[in-house]
Amino acid sequence: MAGKNYAEKYKPADLLAVAAAREVMDGDIVFAGTGLPMLAIALAQKTSAPNAVCIYEAGSIDGRPIDLPTSVGDSRCAYQASVAAGLTETFYGQLHCGYVDLAFLGGAEIDKYGNVNTTVVGDYSSPSKRFTGSGGNPDINSYAKRTVFIMVQEKRRFKDNVDYITSPGWRIRKWPSGEFVHKKEVYGKFFNGGPSAVITNMAVFRFGDDGIMYLDTVHPGFTAEQVKDNCLFDLDISRCKGETERPTVEEIDLLYKVVDPEGIFLP
Amino acid sequence: MSKINQITLKEAAGLIKDGDMLSFSGFTIWRRPTAMIYEMIRQGKKNLHLFEVNGGTHSEILIGAGCVKIWESCWIGHELYGKLGESLARGQVDGSIIVEDYSHAQCVARQLAGAYGLPFFPTALSMGTDILNPKYDNLAKAGLRDGSNPKIPLKKYEMIHDPMYDKGELLLIPAVNPDWAIVYASQVGTEGTVRVFSQCYVDAEVIKAADKVIVIAEEIVPDSYLRDDPASNIAAGHAIDYVVQVPFGAHPTGSQFYYDCDAAFIRDFYSASKSSDSYKKWADEWIFGVSSHEEYLEKLGVNRLNALKANTVLGYSTNVKRGTR
Repeated sequence: MAGKNYAEKYKPADLLAVAAAREVMDGDIVFAGTGLPMLAIALAQKTSAPNAVCIYEAGSIDGRPIDLPTSVGDSRCAYQASVAAGLTETFYGQLHCGYVDLAFLGGAEIDKYGNVNTTVVGDYSSPSKRFTGSGGNPDINSYAKRTVFIMVQEKRRFKDNVDYITSPGWRIRKWPSGEFVHKKEVYGKFFNGGPSAVITNMAVFRFGDDGIMYLDTVHPGFTAEQVKDNCLFDLDISRCKGETERPTVEEIDLLYKVVDPEGIFLP
Repeated sequence: MSKINQITLKEAAGLIKDGDMLSFSGFTIWRRPTAMIYEMIRQGKKNLHLFEVNGGTHSEILIGAGCVKIWESCWIGHELYGKLGESLARGQVDGSIIVEDYSHAQCVARQLAGAYGLPFFPTALSMGTDILNPKYDNLAKAGLRDGSNPKIPLKKYEMIHDPMYDKGELLLIPAVNPDWAIVYASQVGTEGTVRVFSQCYVDAEVIKAADKVIVIAEEIVPDSYLRDDPASNIAAGHAIDYVVQVPFGAHPTGSQFYYDCDAAFIRDFYSASKSSDSYKKWADEWIFGVSSHEEYLEKLGVNRLNALKANTVLGYSTNVKRGTR
């Protein structure tokens, strides 16, 4: 990448935000959740995707926050929005009607098909731990054309099968039998897309036509084998393109001086 | 022209019976009727059935106090200020609370059907998930889908084939019509017209779906003022049964253009909520240690409330320290 001035020093969260921002194409209608997704969309709008539109599920459509929101219900989300509406509008008037190109989401556990669990640890009927629950994760993931998950890379979180499918990946369950089938088979003509990337503190993963996750790039300082060792499933590393592009000095400056100057998500 | 039925917070909480089904206004840690939550706890309500499009600090407080038997929703936590709903998690793990999980948009579908007088609402969102796993229908497992409770639908959902455009299978999600909507609103007019500022969340649907509506109003204003800009209002007076005027009635959750979320207070509560012993200590101080909302505000102190006060142009506080810089 000739001509780019890459940052010498950055923190793992900085690279996560920058890598996520690079997933935004100019003009995308983006549905973002609380936390790093807020940094990613704000950074993208200030760099490569000035015409991207941000929707937060609590009701703000194309807000222009001048102070970073701390949650999607925050009044800061709605500052200079084109519409300040509610959940009926965001879930049905924006998502279900097909506007949403890209979604940024998180998860506690993920499997190789991109199924995500944010509900319980263990058997749902007698769980050992309860997480927050689905929130809008499965709704947004089931209907956005592309979904990018931002997660912490830990072996126990990258599983063969998640304990509970909160959010639908590429191979999901067809009820009432519960057999696993391709997402297209469940969604029929309602199908729009699905998980396109997973970004962690170690690597960027993508999904093949078979709906299975593979290693795309490793972050500087890590090897493909280390990433594979941090997955419980057998990760395909044969298609790894090399290193994830580092953040530039300009991107780090924007993140710390313009997007999150108060140190909310980037302490 | 009809006037609002204005009552006190104690009278409002007195209307709620053990076992009633409730829903609330707001979104996670914004515009929650917390003053009413505290008063219901002081009055010792039991076996409440909550339907929430999403939960938050208010429901964690109510659940921690042992007031809730059934929780139907999709999410509970404190956003940035506490990552889990510890009280609910304890109740689900030890089996004392029946949890029925839907997705967020499915919860909205339930509320929409309820608001519009429909038995169900169709959606194609969140298909293929364990939310629809028949083995995980906890209300059915508890034997509560037998029709004996008119607030509990006979089925959690139904799959149908689109009979109109042949688009394939999709879901019918049952309506919800709770006994009560307890709604915190920014302004209520003297005839009951309701206005909220900024995002309206699901507040209008929550009002319409419930049998009876209690509004906890930050302020009561002349109805004529609200009628000068009718497009900004979310409900007409005939949908509202009772109004209580409670300044800072949403604290510690935020109310756009009045005050920000009290992050430190929510963080402290979240730490306390991690065990029932520490919850009890917290409740003894902040709920049972005061006899009224006025005493609660006095205990919070004027400096704390002043720091939370919203900038009247921006709609949020510019005085609270939110991050590390």
